[in-house]
Amino acid sequence: MDKAKVLVVDDERDLNETLVKRLKRRGYETQSAFDGLEALAVLAGEPFDVIVLDVKMPGMDGIETLREIKKRHPRIEVLLLTGHASVESGVQGMSMGANDYLIKPVEIEDLLKAINQAYERKRLATENA
Amino acid sequence: MNTTPVRLLLVDDEERFVTTLARLLGLRGMAVTSALSAEQALAAFAPGAFDVALLDVKMPGVSGVDLLVELRKRDPDIEVIMLTGHASVDVAAEIMSRGGSDYLLKPCPTDDIAAKILSAYERRCAKKG
Amino acid sequence: MPQKTPESASPSRALALAACALALGAPLLSGWAGMAAGAGAAGCVLYGRWKWAKLVRQGKAQRDALRDRLLQSQKLAAIGEVAAGIAHEINNPLAVITQETEWMEHLLAPPLPMSEQTYSAVRQGLKDVQAQVNRCADITHSLLSLARNWTPILQPVDLNTLAEDMAKLVELEARQRNVTLDRRYAPDLPEALLDPPLMRQAILNLLVNALHAVEGGGVISMATAPGPEGGCILRVADTGPGIPEQNISRIFDPFFTTKAPGKGTGLGLAITHRIIDRLGGTITAESPPGKGAVFTISLPPTPAKEPQP
Repeated sequence: MDKAKVLVVDDERDLNETLVKRLKRRGYETQSAFDGLEALAVLAGEPFDVIVLDVKMPGMDGIETLREIKKRHPRIEVLLLTGHASVESGVQGMSMGANDYLIKPVEIEDLLKAINQAYERKRLATENA
Repeated sequence: MNTTPVRLLLVDDEERFVTTLARLLGLRGMAVTSALSAEQALAAFAPGAFDVALLDVKMPGVSGVDLLVELRKRDPDIEVIMLTGHASVDVAAEIMSRGGSDYLLKPCPTDDIAAKILSAYERRCAKKG
Repeated sequence: MPQKTPESASPSRALALAACALALGAPLLSGWAGMAAGAGAAGCVLYGRWKWAKLVRQGKAQRDALRDRLLQSQKLAAIGEVAAGIAHEINNPLAVITQETEWMEHLLAPPLPMSEQTYSAVRQGLKDVQAQVNRCADITHSLLSLARNWTPILQPVDLNTLAEDMAKLVELEARQRNVTLDRRYAPDLPEALLDPPLMRQAILNLLVNALHAVEGGGVISMATAPGPEGGCILRVADTGPGIPEQNISRIFDPFFTTKAPGKGTGLGLAITHRIIDRLGGTITAESPPGKGAVFTISLPPTPAKEPQP
């Protein structure tokens, strides 16, 4: 099975770039975006399969970005990432179509499992469309 | 007509609503005591201390209707107006049968609320003779 | 000669006439006349039975029509209830917005310039209005969530992992509120075939509901077990006040909530119920006296895998 094309959206540069490096090392085509607007711009230009999206970002926050992504690219799977588990944003995010809600620091193996499961879902959804 | 300020007991579990409405009614010359629950209201209550009570129907804990009954028990002269988020024939009937003199449907402009309170106040003054 | 039964006669009337015919015929006539009378009576009886069957069919059709009308009016009543619930939920934030904007109008009345204090008060007022608007948006979004036509996308999943992920999300907040989140996962739980994001929502809603129930301190317990026919069972229990007898049947109804305003839209359990239903499972609520509430999800077994050629 080919691997998901992933976009990591997080305003914390170091975290973002480290994660992208690790995913690339595992064979995932990955890119960075450092805020919601940049993410939307990138997505408008190329197709992605899974987004890893930080919930707390200045400016356009994760939930707003999620909303916009789902509006324009309903098939893209979004994994929400948060530094402090907020049940409320978890509920909100899930009800708005996020695939999963992960708490930082996330084990790379757990993140990969989540990415793979989300990608599989995207493929199944497209197959059955 | 009496020029002493109307003494109002305002009870609703929506804090923002109570604070702002109390201020707006204060601007119209009323002396408002606010409570966020039936329990709080009863703690602040004394027979003869209030001319009119404005109560929300739906509150957690002791309901607005139960509070209506209790207030009327403690002070049969008090006029009680109910505030409700959904009016129906049943709700209206229940309010009237339990001793409520009127009810208002939320949302409601303060002018209308004030008018109802003043009518109730006039009824009370008339009763006292 | 036998009486001809009129169209509108009831079967009993037909039988009665037949009996009369026999009664009259037997002593008055004999032989062939008697036989004719007998045949006539039998004819009456047969005709009566045919009439009877027709009336029974008509009765059944009427009953079905009445049942349909009852279902329809129950549906309309249910829609009416949900509509009233929605209206009520939205009316509360609207009430806050009404008074809040009136207050801001008052603050902004001349003379200008306004004081620093007034300026802050107006800004605060606007923030409060925004908060209420968001609250309304939450309500309508939850409604849309409930109304959405979900087609589950099934994937094989370890329910224990899924449940634990949601538990971890709730755990931090639970601890802050003096609530223990106790988990017990069956090691031999069969693989489940379900829609992972939907199931996460369903479990999260149950946990959030339990969290509200044990406000101020208590225990939420989550456990999994293999189901009776190879499926999975997931149970979420809390040590809250429980569900009163008269409310149990309505606990999954949209907007049926006893919570304070702005605390939950009253749709969480309804959404959970809908999701589980969509996944082919069942969910039940119980409230044993003095023991809080227990929600039990039962998921169907995964269809046996086809052996690969």
